[in-house]
Amino acid sequence: MTVMKVSAPKINQHIATSLERFSQNGGEKISNYVNAAGKAVIAPFVIMNNPFTHKDEKDREWASVKQPVEAVITLAMQLAALSVLYKSVDSLIKRGKISFKSIENAAKDASLIPEKFLKACNNNKDQALKMYKAQCNEILKDRLGAVVSMFTYVPVLAVSNRVFPKIAQKLVNKDENKSDK
Amino acid sequence: MKISPINKLTHSDFFNRHINRVINDDMFGAKTLVALNVGKDVFAYGVRFRTTMKNKDIPEEQRPFVASMDLMSGVVTAIMQIGVGFSLANPKIQGKIWDKLFKNCKFNDIVAAKKGFSQVMALIGSTILAERILVPLIATPCAEKFENIFFNFGKKNTSDKYHSVTFEQFQKDIMTSDDNEKVQTFKSKFCRKKIKRNHKNCPEKNS
Repeated sequence: MTVMKVSAPKINQHIATSLERFSQNGGEKISNYVNAAGKAVIAPFVIMNNPFTHKDEKDREWASVKQPVEAVITLAMQLAALSVLYKSVDSLIKRGKISFKSIENAAKDASLIPEKFLKACNNNKDQALKMYKAQCNEILKDRLGAVVSMFTYVPVLAVSNRVFPKIAQKLVNKDENKSDK
Repeated sequence: MKISPINKLTHSDFFNRHINRVINDDMFGAKTLVALNVGKDVFAYGVRFRTTMKNKDIPEEQRPFVASMDLMSGVVTAIMQIGVGFSLANPKIQGKIWDKLFKNCKFNDIVAAKKGFSQVMALIGSTILAERILVPLIATPCAEKFENIFFNFGKKNTSDKYHSVTFEQFQKDIMTSDDNEKVQTFKSKFCRKKIKRNHKNCPEKNS
């Protein structure tokens, strides 16, 4: 059997490429992925193995089962809501219904275009302006996305509060039955 | 021409200043991401606490701890995420980590990669390290204390023969009783809590 060796610099190169993509795509979706991953995997482990608490195991099991269940429901609902939002914002931008004051000013006066875009485009003003506009769109989508993500917590928690006790009851009781046997 | 609310926002001085600052200052961008995350979490934990307390599907005995855990997590999360996230967004710390990890890597757009890196670092620091590791470690004992102070009042305890007796019933009964055990139970059940110690009929206050 051949074992493929993955060297540390190779992994770092992959991460480096992902970082460029991350910067282009905006942070809200990634923020939701990171949040859900931490909640589903790390939080239950920490709750169950916390050395600073003397709470009985059943209570801790209930609190820790809640985390992954909620993480999955949150991620699914937030990504669905963000996809709808991003599509509608994109279509509004395409139809010219959204414009930015900074872009309008920069189109009149090229000195207002941020230097980093001009550098990246070798002083090609039209391209730099396009990059500036794309970045503005991404920031707008991110900020609107943060507000939408926040308000999705209301339906998310309503659903997860219904689902998680059923799963917790099954899992906790299953453990109890095993220990009884 | 009718101006949409989004267009109002994109033409406001505040939002345009914000956009330009995010574009020109990577650290500000990373800090904004952390602050938005904290805002979302605080809102979510507030809603969670309310819905958990009202959730009858969770057994009554487990409900106070689950709800306390939600509330305490919200408070500790806000403090820890801002502390850790903002520290990791610091350019000096980021520069050191960047040099260690990506000194020999090739980039098509190093400016974009550095921006992404500062945001990812702040996010991982605030959401994984602070919110998921440090917060439960601190919030669990805090939740335990919070539960003991605010929820144990009237909590069912099968070893306590007075567990279903309310404060008002006890109050009526204790006035006509010489039973020392009853008086002691009343004291331990209702007067230990600060909220009830100030009650005008509490024997501890009057003694």
